[in-house]
Amino acid sequence: MDRNQISKWLKNPGKMANKYSFHVVYFCTGCGIIEIPPSITTRWDAERFGIIPVATPRQANLFLITGYVSTKTLKPIIRTYEQMPDPKFTVAFGSCPINGGMYYDSYNTITSLDKYIPVDGYIAGCMPRPEAIFIGITHLWKLIDMDKADGYKRYREDYVHYRANQEQLFGELDWPPLFSEENIK
Amino acid sequence: MNIITLFISPLIALIVGMLFMGISRKISARIHWRYGPPIIQPVIDVIRSFSQMSISHGKFFDFGIILSLTGSFVLILFLPIGELCPMTSGGLIAFMYLMLLDPLGIALSGGVAANPNSSIGISRKFLLSLAYEVPLLLILIAVMTHYNTISLVYIVKIQASSGWAFSSWALVLPGIAYFLILPAILGVRPFEVVQAPQEISSGPIAEFGGKHLAFYTLQHALHMFVGLALFVDIFLGGWTLFGLLNPISGTVLGIVLGIIVFLIKMLVVLIIGLFINAVYPRFRIEQAMKYLLKWPTLIAFIGLIIVSLIN
Repeated sequence: MDRNQISKWLKNPGKMANKYSFHVVYFCTGCGIIEIPPSITTRWDAERFGIIPVATPRQANLFLITGYVSTKTLKPIIRTYEQMPDPKFTVAFGSCPINGGMYYDSYNTITSLDKYIPVDGYIAGCMPRPEAIFIGITHLWKLIDMDKADGYKRYREDYVHYRANQEQLFGELDWPPLFSEENIK
Repeated sequence: MNIITLFISPLIALIVGMLFMGISRKISARIHWRYGPPIIQPVIDVIRSFSQMSISHGKFFDFGIILSLTGSFVLILFLPIGELCPMTSGGLIAFMYLMLLDPLGIALSGGVAANPNSSIGISRKFLLSLAYEVPLLLILIAVMTHYNTISLVYIVKIQASSGWAFSSWALVLPGIAYFLILPAILGVRPFEVVQAPQEISSGPIAEFGGKHLAFYTLQHALHMFVGLALFVDIFLGGWTLFGLLNPISGTVLGIVLGIIVFLIKMLVVLIIGLFINAVYPRFRIEQAMKYLLKWPTLIAFIGLIIVSLIN
């Protein structure tokens, strides 16, 4: 952890501040949310690293999707993601958002979240322990250092592709595109 | 000298306000048996908010938060921080007028955002302001009657010669009333009805992101500073320390020591407030109003009667 290295702060304050001040929107889709209360309260205390839950997507920069994503909840997930201000990071939690997990053949659950919104990292497991969340966060720090946590940039560049995937699933979407043609370039 | 204090006192207020926010998060964490974030965590949060893109909902959305922040900065100028006080005229009357700018600006910005949670938060903010400003007005009238002046600087000066207002028995009841409404002024539990993240998604600031949120955090720090500093100035004697600093008052050393004593007193009041904050749950808005309009108002009113009788 390089939170106390002043030279890095002077070099790139925005990046360092994004690393050590994760304001998280927890999307409580499935059983994964059970692991969140211990990680933010007394036992594991995520606030040591500046990680606190916030109530609205406008104030957040980390989006944690905990558990399986049914077709119906995917719509709020996309809208929440689009409301968060850049730079923003997404972490999918548990094995369900990776490949469907135990719901791999369910008719109303999507198998791969990465097709619909960009995911910067996964925490695998069913369920992952709270320690795994912290390991995931340290990996996310490394990715931010190497500029590889660029999901929000990918969403802008490949918006046509993501929107096509979303429309393929839902038919007509009842909100306008986030980026117009000029915005993408 | 006066021009320098115009810049120094808002700067002190901003730095100390941010530091107090960090200290309060750390102390709350220690009370919960957690390790807690570093003390500069609010500064990190503000830097992060400034580095993020923000979404504006129109001109008044930007204007409201700027108005609120400016109002808080102007309010600082009327407040004696130690012996520093750039604006000596106006006193408590100007202070009470300017205190309205803070909820007004936030309400303007939150109203334009058209989020239902913001609207609920704004209505709660105004109801709460209404509820705590009745006892606050009674307290300030009692203080002004007792010292026969509206000037904050003069009130502090009298206390330097005759002892803290809290220790003179005439002003004990208004002092207690001010302490009872202090959590409502600071917006902490049990009066956290305005923000209430679990209930109305952080209320008026539900649509604030990026730079708007950063400005709001700075404004919140200043507001916290004002609420604590007013209590210390009126009841705990400002920069005075049992007459020890009186011989060197006016010199540079005296001013610096005065500011340090002032900030330590503020820290003590803040920590006592934090203990209440960490232990109590949140009131509903009608419970908060019922409480604020009953006990602090009653105590402040009896205090005002006592003060006006002995004058």
